[in-house]
Amino acid sequence: MTAGAWLCLFAPLGGALAITLAGTRISRTVAAWISTVSVFVAFGGAVWSFFGLRAHGSEHGSLTTAWTWLESGGLKVGLTVLVDPLSTMMMLIVSGVGGLIVLYSIGYMQDDPEERRYFAYMSLFVFSMLLLVEGGNLLLLLVGWGLVGLSSYLLIGFWHERPAAVAAAKKAFVMNAIGDATMALAFFVLIAHTNSLSFATDFNVHMSSTATNLVALGLLGGAAAKSAQIPLHTWLPDAMEGPTPVSALIHAATMVTAGVYVIARTHPLFEQARTVELIAAGMGALTLLIAGLIALVQVDIKRVIAYSTMSQIGYMFLGAGIGTYANGEFHLMTHAFFKALLFLAAGVIIHAASDEQDIRKLRGIGASLPWTKWAFLIGSLALVGIPPFAGFFSKDPIIAAALHAHWYGVILAVVALIGAFLTGLYTFRLYFIVFGPGEARTDHPGEGPWTMLLPVGVLSVLALVGGWIQFAPFWTPVTRWLAPVAPTLAVAEPTDWQDAVASILAVALGLTGIAVAYLMYARRTVAVPSRRKLQRVLEHKFYFDEAYDALFFRPAAGLARFLRDAFEGPWFISTPTELGEDTLTVARGVRRIQTGLLRTYVLFLGTGMAVLAVVLLVVK
Amino acid sequence: MTVDDFTSLLIWLPIGAAIVIWALPLSRYATGSLAVLVSLAEVGIWIEQAARFDFSRSGLQFSQKATWINDLHVSYHVGEFAFSLWFVGLTVICMAACTAYGFWVGRDRPRAYFGLMLFLTGATVGVFVAQDLLLFYAFFEGMLIPLYVLVGVWGGPGRLGATVKFVIYTMAGSLFMLAALIAYGIHFGTFDMLSGPVSSSRWIFLGFMLAFAIKSPLFPFHGWLPDAYRQSPPEVSAVLSGVIAKAGLYGMLRIAIPFFPDPASYYRTLFLALGALALVYGSLLAFRAPDMRGVIAYSSLAQAGLIAIGLFSGNTLGFDGAVLQIVAHGFVSTALFLIAGTVERRTTTDQFALLGGMARGRPALATLLLTTGVISLAVPGSSMFAGEFLILAGAYQRAWWWAVIGAGGIVLAAMYMLRLISAVLHEARGSTVSDDALDLRPGELALIVPLVATLLVLSAWPAGITHHTGTAVVETSIVTP
Amino acid sequence: MLGPSIAWYLGISALLFGVGALGVLVRRNPLIVLLSLEIMLNGANLALIAFSRHAGNGAGQIFALAVMAVAASEVCVGLGLVVAIHRRRLALDVDRLSELRG
Repeated sequence: MTAGAWLCLFAPLGGALAITLAGTRISRTVAAWISTVSVFVAFGGAVWSFFGLRAHGSEHGSLTTAWTWLESGGLKVGLTVLVDPLSTMMMLIVSGVGGLIVLYSIGYMQDDPEERRYFAYMSLFVFSMLLLVEGGNLLLLLVGWGLVGLSSYLLIGFWHERPAAVAAAKKAFVMNAIGDATMALAFFVLIAHTNSLSFATDFNVHMSSTATNLVALGLLGGAAAKSAQIPLHTWLPDAMEGPTPVSALIHAATMVTAGVYVIARTHPLFEQARTVELIAAGMGALTLLIAGLIALVQVDIKRVIAYSTMSQIGYMFLGAGIGTYANGEFHLMTHAFFKALLFLAAGVIIHAASDEQDIRKLRGIGASLPWTKWAFLIGSLALVGIPPFAGFFSKDPIIAAALHAHWYGVILAVVALIGAFLTGLYTFRLYFIVFGPGEARTDHPGEGPWTMLLPVGVLSVLALVGGWIQFAPFWTPVTRWLAPVAPTLAVAEPTDWQDAVASILAVALGLTGIAVAYLMYARRTVAVPSRRKLQRVLEHKFYFDEAYDALFFRPAAGLARFLRDAFEGPWFISTPTELGEDTLTVARGVRRIQTGLLRTYVLFLGTGMAVLAVVLLVVK
Repeated sequence: MTVDDFTSLLIWLPIGAAIVIWALPLSRYATGSLAVLVSLAEVGIWIEQAARFDFSRSGLQFSQKATWINDLHVSYHVGEFAFSLWFVGLTVICMAACTAYGFWVGRDRPRAYFGLMLFLTGATVGVFVAQDLLLFYAFFEGMLIPLYVLVGVWGGPGRLGATVKFVIYTMAGSLFMLAALIAYGIHFGTFDMLSGPVSSSRWIFLGFMLAFAIKSPLFPFHGWLPDAYRQSPPEVSAVLSGVIAKAGLYGMLRIAIPFFPDPASYYRTLFLALGALALVYGSLLAFRAPDMRGVIAYSSLAQAGLIAIGLFSGNTLGFDGAVLQIVAHGFVSTALFLIAGTVERRTTTDQFALLGGMARGRPALATLLLTTGVISLAVPGSSMFAGEFLILAGAYQRAWWWAVIGAGGIVLAAMYMLRLISAVLHEARGSTVSDDALDLRPGELALIVPLVATLLVLSAWPAGITHHTGTAVVETSIVTP
Repeated sequence: MLGPSIAWYLGISALLFGVGALGVLVRRNPLIVLLSLEIMLNGANLALIAFSRHAGNGAGQIFALAVMAVAASEVCVGLGLVVAIHRRRLALDVDRLSELRG
């Protein structure tokens, strides 16, 4: 089973290296298939280790070290992979969904002149993401964490001739670098207290509560940046500048959900710093609400889905923060299915409409894309959480768990329920606008090559049946599978009637949202409410970008310019030059003593000797 | 010849070859080939040494000692500690790449040029292996002579000003060091760096530190840096920032800290603060610099600051991280300057306003610049990241705020390096970038790829250095407060 | 102790030195300047010999001999210079030989 994990990890890296080194010697198609095959091989490895682990029993995780990666003093960090229930689950999601999306890319990127680079980056991303989830210690987790950020940067900025794409890529990287930095700081605290970065030992060592809180806060900072939670979320909508399969893979299914994985992975630490864990839950609730609101007014099809992603990750954070890690992970899995589906379906639409993304101009395009319409509908219903689609099974237990968790849980549950209504509203606003009646038509017939349609089909099925594997409280194999690594906290174990109430309310509110969307956007019997001010606030996304620009970027750039003009220039560039010129001026004055007359020299000589004589006498 | 002679061979082979080149009227081609061959032979000798180095022993290896100036107890004493081995490796590999670059672009007056490059190689190796203070000083100054000519003759339009500034700055520092080491030698009656006792004189310590702080450079002593890095030929800038500046940091690691433990801990906060200032100040200026070389130059300042933080943290994590960071940054800045040189050859400029869009159709250039760039901004998993991580973990144990400032430096590094990458490679084509500007030629690839490959190997196995630094020698003499 | 006391010798020596110094300072002909230099040297020599005799130590006399040798070579060079100046038909006037003025 360990061999499977290693295969899973290094197959995509091999693919990326092969494509890079082969360069133009291989055709684009070959590069695309190398990448696809490498990711599917990784999926094979993941399946291998999953069944291996099942055979051993899920409580017998194994840790294998290839070589010591970093060693200094007493600190020793190996290149270690961990095979345990949590990591195998993530491996399956990442490589499975990843394989489908890379396959989809073959059709989507067909006419791009730099296809090889794209596929090398995709393989690199899958490798990085697998390193993140398989890494057997915190430092390796951070390495994967940084590398997914790097591949995300490369892929968002893939069309590097577009200034907007380059700017979005840089923004994503820098925001994530902030998260990396806070995580690194958390690790410094851990090293100082425990001199170790392994998952197993640090959490058992007793640290002061301040130190524990600091470590948890640092981890949370990294998680929030990667998972686009408020206040570190502004990069995600901009990241939609990348190709659509990239958005599906990185900015919906896998990378952005890594924050949830980290909380689940390091839960013993978060449980010792329960306040910080609840902050994570609150952060999730705030994000799901705000992102849901912003999604209501967006007009770019990908940005609507991006905000919905933020909002859904909010649910996962809420679940993980409350303490029901398994449900957070379960929602992560179903979300990977239906959100990847939505993005890929949106990709089909964009592909068919020659890169048009404005939903006002896409009105009516659904008429020529019948299969895509069904796929999109399935994805939307799963997203809203209508039974029997996947989202229903994974989202509602999170709300139920929140209901159970004290008074603050009830507040969070209420926010999550409002979010459920918003989800129904914005999702079906999008659906009814794009697939409602209108003039937009595709330029070319058909919905794309089989490489695009097959993944959409598979994901549609998964979005439908993927949630059936767990239906709390009746059957809970996912929770039981994860129990050895991430047991649910007692405070987040809802009673049966709480489960029932949460489900009924959530479905009812979701349906209400759909109904309102139907009336407003399909039947148009109800006018869209017009509140200019509120609308402007939402269109400006609550002014986060503007505020960060004014608070951080401008001061930093201004300080840098000030230092250059007022400090570096005059003090370090000019001063030495001026010093040289001053020396020359002094020399010009001293030169006058040199008269060229013998007698002056003699006089100086004599005077000098006389002075010396007097000095000697006096000193004596 | 025994294996112990290899250390001396590393010093004197290139210097001897330099004299041969100066003396014989060889053709341009023969001169260049000889120089490149000798610098490759240096790499070979070093690899042989590294293979034979016994990392399980902590002491000096491959050492040789002979009397030089008897009355003053000055000796010709050379040898290598584990960390010196890495410094020497950095030197010979980078110098080989830079010498070959000079051959590739065909510098005029080849005999003078290649002779000086070889002489510089020998002198720099000498700095890293000398085990006698006076010998160290001789090599330290010996590096200056070829650099003076290399910048002053083959440099850009502002080369004279840059040269004079560089030489005066470093000479001023070196004179303080000379005074300090004479004071040390007279007081203890020995100049030997192996048997010399520790001193508690703050003045002597400051004399050494001034020289090293100028060479590295640390914050208020970097006046020579922007001009020198902008006006030198690219391969000389590469040598300056990749290898020569590291001599200052080596001096801190080998002399200033272990020989003066009390003063070093007395002034610890001062030098940590200077390092932090250099880090933040350099990063901010790099973020606003209008040209490629400016960004690399100021980022070198920032990195020197970071390394100084590691050295003055005074613990194993800090020392090991600093050694790794020195080696990794040496390769990074050499590669970046050489790439800047190839860009300048194609476009005649390195101003961001005139560049852009070079990625399209030039995959090798784009891949190499991108790879080096992301390693340089310390993306997690890279060798620079491993170095920074250890340095800051060490600094955190000194006081938390050093680690916080350092972590802020990571974010700033991302900002300025991404700016450089985008300004050269991305967006619309710059006005000086013509369609027929070629991708990297095989000759250029042969120079830059080995450097980048070394960095990737170090990224895969940073413990190769951090676990084999032998800095325990330095630490044992340090009295931890 | 035979002869006058050392003070007399020193007096004469100082007088000679002073006369010579005055000559160097005020005369403009290089020949006379050289001559005055010789007088200064001889003043110094006299003092050396007087002290030598006073202290009963031969070192002073040795020094005086060395000074004479130096003086002789100095005159050679000086006279050579004078001849060279004359050959190039320059004025024999030290004030006009001021090419070293800064």
